[in-house]
Amino acid sequence: MLLKLLLGLWLTLIIIAGFSFPITETPTNWYDLPFVPGLEDKARIIFFHVPMAWVTTLAFIISLIYGIKYLAKKEIDHDLISSSSAGLGLMFCILATVTGSLWAKFTWGSFWNWDPRETSIFVLLLIYGAYFALRSAIEGEEKKATLSAVYAIIAGITVPFFIFIMPRIVEGLHPNEAIVSKGKISMNRTMLVIFLSSLSGFTALFFWILNLRVRTERLEHKQSLKGD
Amino acid sequence: MYEFLSQNALYIVLLIVLIGWVGIFSYLLRLDKKMTKLEKMFKE
Amino acid sequence: MRESLAATLTIFKKDLRSEMRTRYALNALLMFVITTLSIILFSIGNENVSPELLSGVLWIIIFFSTMSGLSRTFVSEEERGTVMTLHLIAKPLSIYFGKLLFNLLLLGGLNIFTVLLYLLFVSGFTVLNYSIFVTTIILGTLGLASGSTIIAAIIAKANTKGTLYPVLSFPILLPLLLTVINATKLSVSGAQFSESFGEFQILISYLVVLTAISFLLFEYIWKE
Repeated sequence: MLLKLLLGLWLTLIIIAGFSFPITETPTNWYDLPFVPGLEDKARIIFFHVPMAWVTTLAFIISLIYGIKYLAKKEIDHDLISSSSAGLGLMFCILATVTGSLWAKFTWGSFWNWDPRETSIFVLLLIYGAYFALRSAIEGEEKKATLSAVYAIIAGITVPFFIFIMPRIVEGLHPNEAIVSKGKISMNRTMLVIFLSSLSGFTALFFWILNLRVRTERLEHKQSLKGD
Repeated sequence: MYEFLSQNALYIVLLIVLIGWVGIFSYLLRLDKKMTKLEKMFKE
Repeated sequence: MRESLAATLTIFKKDLRSEMRTRYALNALLMFVITTLSIILFSIGNENVSPELLSGVLWIIIFFSTMSGLSRTFVSEEERGTVMTLHLIAKPLSIYFGKLLFNLLLLGGLNIFTVLLYLLFVSGFTVLNYSIFVTTIILGTLGLASGSTIIAAIIAKANTKGTLYPVLSFPILLPLLLTVINATKLSVSGAQFSESFGEFQILISYLVVLTAISFLLFEYIWKE
């Protein structure tokens, strides 16, 4: 309980800091954020959008790991975790896509322009969508669990290809090139601290919601066993 | 206070986001408590 | 080893024979290609379309004809109720490779037909470097067959088979499609063969990875 309240406080502080710390060209005070040309106040998106994209990936990896575990041990509990994680991943994926797209409109001038990052998140969205379309089309708990785990693995194995393919097709616009240029991070210490705390905070939030979701699924599963 | 807020739109957004976050957070807390209760009920 | 190879060939021959008897897939697919191509020709009309755009259109035809043709591979076994018999007579791996071989033959024939028609009738599409173009078609066909066979096996167990197939296949085939479209663009813009090595590397590794993962996972699907 205490940990959860602490997490609430943690994220509240991050939201306050992320929004209210002033952006100046020459950061002198401890609370000053650096000025990134072309981004200005819009640079604040990094505290909220990047953690969501990260959680999307994390959720997919967790879903994949528990999918593999299910295939190895055939315990339905692993499938509950795998599908819950994928469901949450889909939610965070939509959030990351929408926030990123909105931001892109005001920075690059259009909602969508097939930047490598946009393409990879679009593919993740498609995979998540296909995963749930598949799950809803199969009857029988074990059949559903096995086939969706297999699909998640096949889909997961094709994702790394985009790392090699996308740079050949379009030039990147994504500001990780602007902020992390030539290996030098132009974030100052304050920005980095807020960013990393935001990453860890959102990760913890994800695990909490995942925990809640898995628990409801388990109860539902138990109830369905009783009903039979 | 009012004047300061009307000149710095960013802080209004901050306030809105904060209210939203507090709402979501308290909802999650309630859900967590409820789940613990239900799990106890199921065990009996 | 030799036994499973023989079983693979038997499955392949069986599929070939039943296809030759009914020509279900072949006739429908050839008509599908002709229909799609004529729609494209109608919509192009007298416009001057750049060959780069046309190389994308070619792969749209190939992708959707694959989607409508190869979904039948395992579904037909489910429908005819011959799955159990297959379970008894052969190991999962022989079945997978037999089906893959048949799909490869079907898709290869289909793609040759499509590409020939495309080269003949779409006037704006002139290939400047045939060595790139042919290699792309071959590697693309191999990759498409490998990727769509394993998805076809998954789809056979689901309820809504036809509509789900492209939905599930698209994210998996997207890396392949993007790369082949890129390589085809290189072939129409007259690039040197060595310039497209990167594309071919991606295509070959995609083929190897996907076949290996299908090889490992097919058993789980088949036993369900």
